[in-house]
Formats: sequence, C-alpha cells, structure tokens
Amino acid sequence: MKNNRIRFLSILLAMLLALTACGGSNGGSGNSSDGGNSGGGTTADAPAPSNGGEPIKDIILWETSGTRELEEFFILHTEQAKDLNVLTNAYSPLLELSPPSELGPAVATKWDTPDNGLTWNFELRDDVTWVDVNGNEKAKCTAQDWITSMEWILNYAKNGTNNTSMLRAMVAGAEEYFQYTKALTETEGEEAAKALKSDNAEFQKVGVKAPDDTHLTYTCVKPCPYFETLCTSAALYPVSQAEIDEKTVDGMVGMTNLDMWYNGPYTITEYINNNTKTLTKNPAYWDKDCSLFDTVTIVMIESGTTDDSLYETGEVDFTELNIANLDAILKDPSDERNDYLVETQIKKYSYQFQLNFNKKNEDGTLDTNWNTAVANENFRQALLCGVNLKNFWERTNRINPLGIENLCFTMKGLLKFSDGRDYTDRVIELMEYPDSNGDLPRRFDEAKGIEYRDKAKEELTAKGVTFPIQMDYYIKAGSATGLDNATVLKECVEGTLGSDFINLNIKTYVNSQTQEVTAPGLHSITGSGWGADYGDVENFHDQIVYGSDNAYYANSYTYINECQDPEVIALFQEFTDKVNEAKAIVDDLDARYEAFAQAEAFLLQHALTWPEYYENTWQLTKINDYTKINALYGIQNYTYKNWETSTEAYTAEDYARFAAEANG
Amino acid sequence: MLKYTVRRLIESLIMVLIIVSVTFVLMRMLPTDMYFTEEQMMKLNDQQKEEQLEAAGLLDPIPTQLFRFYRQLLHLDFGESRRIQTGVPVLKVIESKFTVSMRLGLISMAISLVIGVLLGLVQAQYKNKIPDHIGTVYTVFVNSVPSLVSYSLVLVFCAHVLSLPSLYSTRNVGKSSIPPLICLSLASIAHYALWTRRYMVDESTKDYIRLARVKGMKSSDIMRKHVLKNAFVPLAQYIPASLLLTVGGSMLVERFFSVPGMGTLMIDAINRYDTNVVQACVFIYAGLGILGVFLGDILMMLLDPRIKLVGGGSGR
Repeated sequence: MKNNRIRFLSILLAMLLALTACGGSNGGSGNSSDGGNSGGGTTADAPAPSNGGEPIKDIILWETSGTRELEEFFILHTEQAKDLNVLTNAYSPLLELSPPSELGPAVATKWDTPDNGLTWNFELRDDVTWVDVNGNEKAKCTAQDWITSMEWILNYAKNGTNNTSMLRAMVAGAEEYFQYTKALTETEGEEAAKALKSDNAEFQKVGVKAPDDTHLTYTCVKPCPYFETLCTSAALYPVSQAEIDEKTVDGMVGMTNLDMWYNGPYTITEYINNNTKTLTKNPAYWDKDCSLFDTVTIVMIESGTTDDSLYETGEVDFTELNIANLDAILKDPSDERNDYLVETQIKKYSYQFQLNFNKKNEDGTLDTNWNTAVANENFRQALLCGVNLKNFWERTNRINPLGIENLCFTMKGLLKFSDGRDYTDRVIELMEYPDSNGDLPRRFDEAKGIEYRDKAKEELTAKGVTFPIQMDYYIKAGSATGLDNATVLKECVEGTLGSDFINLNIKTYVNSQTQEVTAPGLHSITGSGWGADYGDVENFHDQIVYGSDNAYYANSYTYINECQDPEVIALFQEFTDKVNEAKAIVDDLDARYEAFAQAEAFLLQHALTWPEYYENTWQLTKINDYTKINALYGIQNYTYKNWETSTEAYTAEDYARFAAEANG
Repeated sequence: MLKYTVRRLIESLIMVLIIVSVTFVLMRMLPTDMYFTEEQMMKLNDQQKEEQLEAAGLLDPIPTQLFRFYRQLLHLDFGESRRIQTGVPVLKVIESKFTVSMRLGLISMAISLVIGVLLGLVQAQYKNKIPDHIGTVYTVFVNSVPSLVSYSLVLVFCAHVLSLPSLYSTRNVGKSSIPPLICLSLASIAHYALWTRRYMVDESTKDYIRLARVKGMKSSDIMRKHVLKNAFVPLAQYIPASLLLTVGGSMLVERFFSVPGMGTLMIDAINRYDTNVVQACVFIYAGLGILGVFLGDILMMLLDPRIKLVGGGSGR
C-alpha cells in the first residue's frame, strides 16, 4: 500500500511537471499566420521627420481592451468603430480621404454626377487585386465587387440589417430588394435567400450597375449631392463573389484574419484577442506612391492609464496623458516632458447635453417640475449662457479648455461653403457670439444668464414650479473619473445660477446608461456625442427633428415626440420644417448649407439643445497627427497611410509648426 | 469505491445541467436591448433591432431556445460567438485562450506549491525565529496589500529594473510571462506557506511526534516522514481543483498584463452579452469545479487510508 501511494504521488508530480513544461515557446493562443509578408519596398519611402529622428518602420499603437477590441473581420457586416478602425486598413474604397479631410480618388480615379446627385458614375483603376493574408493574389478587384457588396448588404438573410439604413434610404430600389429578401427568408427559408447572387432579376432593379470591370454607376432615390462621401462608409466597400464562393455565405461572417481576402494597404497577419493585432504592409497594394509602415502593431491594454508607463519604457509610440500624470508633469517645470506635451486633434464627435422634455421619475410618473421648467425658454437660455463650463472642460483638456468649446450642434469642419468658410462659422455668425477673450467661454454671459434666470423664476413660479429645480444627471457607479467630472459640472451649473435655483443631482447607473437611464427617461440632461456617417449636415439634424422614427436624439434622449408642451412642440416643428426645406435644396450646395445654418441657428437661439464640448486631450508622441486623416465622417480616420513619424518624440515646438503649416 | 464514483459522477452531471439551465434562463430573461451595443442603439431603430433578434432566434419562446440549447449541448456545440469574435464557433474562441491560461496557471501553481510548501516547512521548523517572522511578514503583506498595488510594484520592478516587457507577448513568451507569473504566484505562495506552517505546527504538538522524539528519532526525519506527510493531507484536497481551475485564468492578472487568456473572457462575455460564450464558460467552470472537488476527495482517501468516503466508520 505504501509503495502504491508513493507511486501515485510520483505519477502526480510527474504529470504536474510534464504539464508545466508542455508550453511551447510560442503563445499558441492566437491565430498568427505562419507566412507573413515580406513588407518589401513596394511603396514609397516614409517622409523624413523634421525633428532629426528617423521614420518609424514598425509602429506600436495601443487600444483599451475592455471596449475597443475588434470583434469581427467582415467589413460589410460590422457597424462598430472598433472593428472598422482596423478593417479600413484591409480594404480599399472607391474614394478615400487625405489629411486632414479631403475626399479624393482611391480605386475610383474619376467620378461625377451629371444630374445634381441623382446618378453617380465612377471610373475604376484596373490594377487592384485581392490577396490572402500572405499577399498571394486571389482575384482581380473589379466594379462587380461593389455590385456583389450591395447585394450582400441588402440581402436580409446574409447581412441582417447591418449597414442597410443609408443604402435603403438613398439608393434606388434598395429598400424594395431588402424587403424582397426578407419576405423570401420568411416564406422560403434562409437558404433560398442566401442562394441569391447579384444576377437575380429582383436585384437588377436596384440602382447600381457595372457595365464593365472599370465602370460603376449608382442611382439614388432622389438627388443626393453628398453621395460621394458615402464612399467612406463601410456600406460602400467591396467584396468579391469568388471569396464568398470559397467560404460559403455562412463562412463569411465568422471569417478570421487568416482566411479573409484583402485589397487594402495592410494584411492582418496576427490577431490575438485582447492582446495584439499586427498589420503587415500588403506588397500587392495598388497605391505605390504612398508610404506605409512595414508593420503596425496594436497592443491591447487594461486602461487608458497604462499607456503612460508603456510610453516611458518605449513599448508604445504615443500616450494620451491622464489627468494625474499631466498634472504631475505640469507641476514640475524641470520635468523635460513639458517640452513634449502636444495636443491631439479634435475628434469627430460633437457633444451635446440633451435636454429631456418628457422626464420621468423612477416610479414611472412624469417629473412635472422638471418638464415644466425645461419647456420654459428663459430657463433653457439661463443654462445655455449662464453656465460657465470652463472648469468642466478642463477635465477633458487641462491646458486649453477653451479650445474645446462647442458652440453648435453640427461638428465643426464637417462642411465648407464654396468660399472655404466653415459651416459652423456661419452658424456662430448667426448666433452673434463674441470673439473669445481667452479667459471665458464665448457663450457665457453672466449678466444675461442671471436675467434669464430671474425671468424664468418668475414665470415658473406662476406655473407652480418649486425651487430649486432638480436636474438629474447620471454617471456610471464606481467611476471615480465620472464622479469628479459630474462634481465639477454641478459646481458650474449651480455657480452662476445659484443652488437655490437649480440643483444638479448626481445619480448612478450600474451597467448600461441606455438600459437603466435614458430608455426609461430618468435623466434631465445627458451628454452624448454624434459623429457623421456621411458628409452632410442632415445626418446631424436628422437626429433631433420632430416626428421621425429614425431621429436618435429625439427618440432616445430629448423625448420631444412625447412632450406635451405646445410651445416646445411648435419650436421643434418649425426647426424640422426648416431642415426639410434645406434638404430639398440639391442644386446649390451653398444655398443648402445656408438653409441648414439658419435651421441650426434657430435650434440654438431657442436653446433647444445645449452644446457640451469637442473632445481632445494631451499626449506625448512620435507621430505627427497632422499627417493623419482627421475626417468628420466615414471610417477612414485610422488608416495607417502616409503618416509622418519619428524615432524621436515630437516637441511642442514641432507641433506648433505643424499646426501653422496645416492652417496655411 | 466504484459505486461511490458512479454516484458522484451522476450527481455532478445533474448539477452541471441545473447550473447551465438556470444561467440560460436567467440570461434570456434580461431585456433584449442588452444584445446591442450603445453604438448600435444609436444607429438602429426598433424595427431593425427586432429584425436582428429575430434572425438570431432570440425572439423564440424561452423553452424552445432551451431545448435547442440542450440539443446543441449533446453535440458539445455551443454555437457561435455573437460579440467576442462574431460568427466564430465558441469552442474555437475558448480553445485559443484555454492554452494560455492553463500554461501560466500550471507553471504558477508548480512554483507556488514548491516555494510555498518549502516556506511553510521552514517556518514550522524555525517557529518564532527569524525565518518564521520573515515568512509571516510576507504572508501578511501579500494578503493585506490590494492586488493591484502589488501588481503595480511587480510591473514597475520588472519593467524598469529588469527591463522585462510590461505586457504579455506571443513573440516573446518567455520573458513576457515572468511578470504575470510572479503576480499569479505571490498570493498562492503565501496561501501554501500559511497552511503548511499551520498544519505542521499542529501536527508537531501531537503525542505521536512527542513519542518519536522520546524514541530518539532525528528532528529532520520526524518533520519529513511524519509531520509533513500528515500535514499535507488537508492541503492535498484542494490541489486537483486548483489544478483544473488554472484554465480559468486570473481576471486581474490577465487584464493587467494583457494576457489573452480565459480570465477575462467570461466577464467580457457578460458585459457584451455574448450569451453563447457565457453558457460555455459556465459549463466549463461548473464542470471543472465539481470534478476538482471529486478528485480532491479521492486524492485525500488515497493519501490517508483512515479516510472513508462511503459507508460508516471514520468518514469525513
């Protein structure tokens, strides 16, 4: 018995040691390719950095693992930024943006619309190829691939409703074909609909045609002067029928980086979930004049604070500084990092505090006190011009808070008039905001704010409103940053207007703001950012118009369609009418933008929305951000093409020079 | 013994089935909006959301979905991931992470067992002397300092002093595994040292040890042949479960060092409402947990013939 026990223990120990040693030298967890591209010099040399360093050939970037990890590889099937930010490097579009935001040729070399945007013709290059992950040619990329792509997206059995909304609204026959495949799925089953290809009779009625391999024509439901900008969204990216045939329809959605086909600047040679993605230069990429990295490695990190230490140890090539680290640097003038602090470009989202016009209490009853208050224009005006948000903005941009002041509803830089003037500048002109004095927000006017507050108090008292008015603002439970931000916001709101007039109540949700707060309508205000899907103001205004099922802000945040106050409804109806008038102008873009600007000014003049801020931060970096695409629409901002980088970190002086050059 | 084993196995299967069924039903009772990201909630209207749910079979009655799940379970098919890696079979998602966690877990367990038991042994041998105090300070430190603080210290030391990578990398598995291995082992070493010391001190005061001393046995022989052997029995019960559950990984350590293992998978799957992945993880963890306890009982019985798992007598 004793011997048996010794034997058993020996076996157990041996098993333990064997298992311990069983790990190989390779991670084995990922699905990295065994081949990999040579990254050979098929494209132009990287631009020489102007700060004395060498261009980086193998760049290392980071993303946070909890929320920013890629989930799927099929660009037509996903709508999530975290996927598209990577996949934009794997596919080539018809048109692409160049820094900062100029739409130009890509696979399409020429394009035009002969009839004010009803029909769009594209002429395609003939040297674009599909390759596998190792760069081996699989097929030619032709105009037919955009036809196949359209059929895939509109086929309910293949793509569900992913990426369908814009096509169904804009392309002739698209809605009908979508409904046809949906009905077919329900009556004949999924397989019948999945078997359809782009040569079927019903699809022939859709407004997309390819007379040959290099010509493509789209026909819109009505004139769309902005249709070309849709080429930067995932809905107008290509897919090869040969790839679908190779994988089968069911195999497309679950494909991985190893079996997908590429026609973009990089192939994704390594993908290890929540750890690493490696993009390797595609040797068959058609654009031989651009500069690409040999490899782009994206490491996934636990939080946005880890990147600071990774940058210090040289494990990543940029870091966005958190407030604590930024403060530590700023407090110590001898810290040499002060010379390297540079501001990131403003991101493409226009943040607004959305006012809830039909707020409910937690028991489901209407919060009449708040709803009566917010329906009063003087109350809204008091918030708009009587709250100094500078300290609140400092939570986002410590050094230059006034630089992120948002005065409009639409994102600045989205559109320009033909004379080069920015659309939002025209809105600001209509709003008659003073120039910045470098100290206070342009919108803040303390005297006016107090005047509006006093008027509101008088009018609302007559309506039976009790003071202080309770304004419920929700943050995620346990979020220290969220609590700090909300506390500062509370101080801002109650600062000028007084805590006897208004109280900002900081409340918490556990997991989902949508589920727990905004869907049941518990918020008084909520901050939210919108980034355009395509290059037209209507994509912003459509979110807040009255009476539309597709207006996201109206149906999820402002609840204007459920509001009972006739005055507020009349204002939103008038705004909606103005937007519709603007949308009807398709033959004169300046006139169209002017009409939108008038509508937006109306929205702001009546304080129906409360612009919050733009988003940027401070960083230490070896990347010249001014050579990146910084478009206000589409999915191409994360394309790693023509970036100027340096092995030496850029200084504030370098960045000041870049900014001056960019601004002409 | 055979009868006991068969009975425990059947009980275990039923238990696993109950656990996965309850999890399945609970998850299906949550609001369907949870299936969508905040981004999708912004882009999709109600009709589009309903169409997506319908296409995924999530609008079928719960019993229909449950029986479909049972059918899949019979074939060990957990379906496809909806969010972690969309469209990829769940087992494939898990497989890639399983090996990483298991490797790190097993190495860390081996390190912890060897160092922890040795430390406990030394502490017991030198009770109330300097080695014992050092071990106690270590144990108290590891157990009282929040994990993230000690991990941060390890990270700073490894990255800045030893120039090791801060993040786990499949291109440099050896070096990049060192910081997570240290962190994984810190608490386990303290655990094994603490309990080894405690059981050994308990054993060394028993009559049979006094008798052995009186009979003139060498102190080292007493510790090795009698005290350690008997003190190890209660510790051994938990070894199989710990061994099996190494595949579960450590959520904190794996997230901290970006280890692509199982530790964060279930939390991510719950957060992203990837129900198929959650089901598979629950099934695996429940199965391994129950199996670990079962094997622990068997191991104890083998190590100590006085322990009987069936019938009367001196059963536990």
